[in-house]
Amino acid sequence: MSGAALTVGAWGALLARDLRAFLRSRSQLSSSLLFPLMLLAVVGVGISEGLEPSRVRDGDYVTFLVPGIIVMTALFSSTFSSASFYQDRDSGMLKVFLVSPHSPAAILFGKSLGAITIGSVQALAVLAFASAVPAIDLAWQYGVGPSLLLALATVLGLNVLLSGLAQVLASRIRTMQGFHLVMNLVLFPLLFFSGAFFPLADLPGWLYGLALVNPLTYAVDLLQLALYAEGESGYLGIGVDLAVLGSLAAVLFGWGLRRHPMVD
Amino acid sequence: MSDTPSPAPAISVRELVVAYGDRRALDGVSLAVPQGTVVGLLGPNGSGKSTLLSVIAGLRPPQQGEVRVLGEGRRPARRRRVGVVFQESCLDPLMTLHETLWLHGRLFGLGGATLRRRIEELLEGFGLAERAREAVRTLSGGLRRRLELARALLPSPDVLLLDEPTTGLDPDSRRAFWELLRGTAAPPTEVGGMAGEPRSRGLSVRGRGLTILLATNDVQEAERECDTVAFLYHGRLVAQGTPAELKKGLRHDSVRIECIDGKAAALGSAVAGWPGVGRVTSADAVLHVTVDDASAFVPRLFQTAAEAVHAIRIEPSTLEDAYFELTGASVSAPEGEGTA
Repeated sequence: MSGAALTVGAWGALLARDLRAFLRSRSQLSSSLLFPLMLLAVVGVGISEGLEPSRVRDGDYVTFLVPGIIVMTALFSSTFSSASFYQDRDSGMLKVFLVSPHSPAAILFGKSLGAITIGSVQALAVLAFASAVPAIDLAWQYGVGPSLLLALATVLGLNVLLSGLAQVLASRIRTMQGFHLVMNLVLFPLLFFSGAFFPLADLPGWLYGLALVNPLTYAVDLLQLALYAEGESGYLGIGVDLAVLGSLAAVLFGWGLRRHPMVD
Repeated sequence: MSDTPSPAPAISVRELVVAYGDRRALDGVSLAVPQGTVVGLLGPNGSGKSTLLSVIAGLRPPQQGEVRVLGEGRRPARRRRVGVVFQESCLDPLMTLHETLWLHGRLFGLGGATLRRRIEELLEGFGLAERAREAVRTLSGGLRRRLELARALLPSPDVLLLDEPTTGLDPDSRRAFWELLRGTAAPPTEVGGMAGEPRSRGLSVRGRGLTILLATNDVQEAERECDTVAFLYHGRLVAQGTPAELKKGLRHDSVRIECIDGKAAALGSAVAGWPGVGRVTSADAVLHVTVDDASAFVPRLFQTAAEAVHAIRIEPSTLEDAYFELTGASVSAPEGEGTA
């Protein structure tokens, strides 16, 4: 068997294993979807009806929230899946992988496929749900096909970025508890400063500045353009978003693969 | 290819140095393991056994030195020919036995019908077939070890590295493990079972030229299973030879004397001068004495010093004694003798 076929076969097997584990864990499966949908319903309807926001289209906060909730879902899901790296290290499976005829980078790549796939599918499940609910009024301003494609690319890029980030952190943080602590410390502020919960356009300068150095901002911006916005004014724009998100994803993911995994 | 006589040793290690900070886990180890032999690495915990195995397995690069497996030095290529059973259990408790083996086979480039057949063969041969669809977490410690051995053998490696594979197993599971490895096991049951007719499963150690490097601190295991044994001490290889060669020149018997409190020191210096007495060591109230002939030593002991003796035990000299002779340290109880 050629080297490439061997590697691809190994990636497929590692991916299949992570997917099987995910599908087996009913609690992970349901909670990872229920929480975002609950947030969308409760916070979305609550703010729409309770505060009557005037700066979102038609005062409809639920629809505005959809792109942000998709990003949040990817965030939680991929962090959760990345924890499987720690499980594999603690169970010793990582050692077994690393004595197979593959480079550590190839093994780490195979391991991240699971996190990326699960994160992307869950984020898209939220989108599917949102498009199916009549009360949610997505604009699809580029047409459903192109907009969907853009959303797919965004979700994928975001998950690659997050998986790289998790890998970089995991190579430096010894315990899973520490990893979760740091992820929460990093992820919640990133989420809040990303425009997921409020439009960026009218923010004070300091907050806007913070949003611009936040990678998630560009993912939220892309998804809002693809799904929610009618027109492009007030947004960062597809070109900037794709460039920033794409290059950050490539750099972080590549960096993550080069970290030698801590085996013990 | 393993049948053709080849000058290349199965494992060749030269001048290996691995340091963790200031501490040298391996300090210039050189070792050649001929094809088809079983070689034991004997030494207490911390002597460098696990580190040596993990370097050979390609898990950890050495700071200096060279490793070759059947002449191959590059790491990914080398790993293809090596199977490893680590000291601690390395299994995903939530995967089934079948999934565990399937994943491993895929990592080694096996697939399709070949892989299915090989998995069936191993599960059957290892007495695990009925549990194939159960999660690993339901297995006993002995069966887990058996699964790990099956996994290591799945890609048909030329070299098998075993890191204290039977530590923590009950005697039946230990025996079952070695019977499987020797390929002479009867269809094993949970408790090991009695050996029935020998079966050839293509796993036989000598039969197919499988080379085994076994790290252990179980002296009896090393004597029983290994063609040659290498002593590791503080990251150095201090001796290598057959068990008989290593024990050559040792006194024949080893007598362990539990003394009445406070009498050990005096008794120790007394017996040290007797003819036929070799090394005398003491820890608390226990004396270890190596002698040429216990049947001459013990009567004399009771004639002259019965009042100081609480209990005695006589054992033939073992590799433990040979190790002590060379290093002044114990294989199994690095914290101090007496505790054994």
